[in-house]
Amino acid sequence: MSAVVHAHPESGPVLGVAGPAKNKRVLSEAGHRGQWWRFIAILIITAVVLVPIMVTVVLAFTPGPNSTATGLTFENLSNVFSKTLAATWLQNSLITTLATVVVSVAVAAPAGYVLSRGRSKAVSGYSLLLFVMQSLPVITSVVPLFILFAAMGLVDNLMGLTIIYVGSTMTVATWMMAAYFDSIPISLEEASWIDGCSVFGSFTKVVLRNSLPGILSTAIFAFLLAWNDYLVAIVFLRSNEIFTLPMGVQSFFQQNNTDWSGVMALAVIMMLPPVIVFATLNKYFSVGGIGGSLAGR
Amino acid sequence: MSSTTAPSGLARARKGLAPGGPGGGSPNPGNQNRKSRLSAQTSRTFFWLLLPSVILLVLIHGYPLFQAGIQATHNGNLIQTGDFVGIENFQGVLASPAFWKAAQFTLLFTIVGVFGSWAVGLGLALLLRTKIPAGGTFKVLLLLPWVVPIVVSSTAWNWLVATPDSLIPSLFRNLGLGTPLFLADPTLAATTVMIFKVWVSFPFMMMMISAALASVDNTVYEAASMDGATRWQQFSQITLPLIARSTYISWILMTIFCVNDFPTIYLLTGGGPVDATTSLVVLAYRTVFQDFATGPGVAIAFLMTMTLVVISVLLYRQIRKSSVE
Repeated sequence: MSAVVHAHPESGPVLGVAGPAKNKRVLSEAGHRGQWWRFIAILIITAVVLVPIMVTVVLAFTPGPNSTATGLTFENLSNVFSKTLAATWLQNSLITTLATVVVSVAVAAPAGYVLSRGRSKAVSGYSLLLFVMQSLPVITSVVPLFILFAAMGLVDNLMGLTIIYVGSTMTVATWMMAAYFDSIPISLEEASWIDGCSVFGSFTKVVLRNSLPGILSTAIFAFLLAWNDYLVAIVFLRSNEIFTLPMGVQSFFQQNNTDWSGVMALAVIMMLPPVIVFATLNKYFSVGGIGGSLAGR
Repeated sequence: MSSTTAPSGLARARKGLAPGGPGGGSPNPGNQNRKSRLSAQTSRTFFWLLLPSVILLVLIHGYPLFQAGIQATHNGNLIQTGDFVGIENFQGVLASPAFWKAAQFTLLFTIVGVFGSWAVGLGLALLLRTKIPAGGTFKVLLLLPWVVPIVVSSTAWNWLVATPDSLIPSLFRNLGLGTPLFLADPTLAATTVMIFKVWVSFPFMMMMISAALASVDNTVYEAASMDGATRWQQFSQITLPLIARSTYISWILMTIFCVNDFPTIYLLTGGGPVDATTSLVVLAYRTVFQDFATGPGVAIAFLMTMTLVVISVLLYRQIRKSSVE
């Protein structure tokens, strides 16, 4: 069996198909019992791990202590929308996050292309610089930026927040894009160059056009960073109507920390978009993409 | 030449970045040809493509870092720069017990965060690699702690453990184990924060390791077991070396994530009780925005920064070296 394997070292995918079939035959003898034990083990582990998330969802849809409703209810959700600025917070979060995603990709894609194709000293120096900046604590730059933005009227302002988010996503986003571009063969571009295309032309028409998965992974990364951020928001946002959802959830929690139904309803609103993105774009959700982009380069 | 290579190249490109597929860095064919194209026009294009990124880097990272250097050497506040005090802020910070206590907690938090989440992630990745009914579903569900915002999960954890009447303390009481005050007792609070961190981070590790394992051919194990290798030998001689590279990278990244982590700690305990869970970031945040002592606060951040720069440059070199091998 293994002799066949060694005879075709390049045929990885083909063997991948043949592998499970072989496994099945082995499994039918003794593997079935082990399989069910592992199923039960993973079922229990998953259930325990997901307790905090299940608790959130259950409490959000269970009638609160002062409610007359029974069974599952949307009362808590409609309550937070009518009694708090939840709708505004949601809108603020969506605007900031979408702007961050678009600008991040727009900045990171061209830079990533240069990192992928350029081989000069300056380019590799820039690559190292990005890596170093990426590892710096946000808190260091937050204080000087706060003073700068205060002078420019960008404190308590969604645009100011977006600028910082783009700044913090751009390092890793550039690396992710560069790693993806590395997988696009240069021969494609050469063909277009022969047809008289410029470097910029081949970047937009050939490379970008074939990079949707890479762009999506990068976009998801930027989305999660902007959507989940708390540290930048707590420093830069002051007024209730400018709050993003993390600030909204926190301020509501601090003021009404016995109103768990309300808190959890807000929490569900906040976790819904990332979960939806994750559920639909699961394929591109390469958490490993960050690491993979580091590994590849 | 190009007409024949293009379609297969496209197919390769479309396959794209399968999560965890072997990373890029494949040697580019046609290297010679490309070099000849690197004309003045190309470098001009590269310059314009890189410009937005450079501007942002200078504005969001470079300038603040420079300013932070100024603030760390002045006794100012958020409004005024204040007088130049040299390294007084650093001396003050390094002499304060609060700094060393926070440094100690940060170290412990990072070690537990990195290796705890790695161990859990590795275990689950190995378990999920075997044939399990609905294995794919579990894999997706187990990523949720990483996907759900910290603000949300910390709220849920608060509901579970914060007061003596919360679910988990009640459970302990009913089991006759007393009523542990998970967030009020200093040691327990520190432990809870670290468990929370592991809970948040293990999916990241699981994904990194699963990705590395996915590129390993099953037949390697079949061959090994035919040669009489035990389970442990297979694990230590085959699995660990094969995932060594991504393990290494995931440790580096998780170290950075842990040292820089703010919300996981701040939202669960606020740094308390009695500063038992105050990490360096939390300390820096409080010093600047609650005590309004910009100089010392930035000095703390600066000390962290310098440590991380040294660590990350060294590690970057190491990654580059290992990717050449």
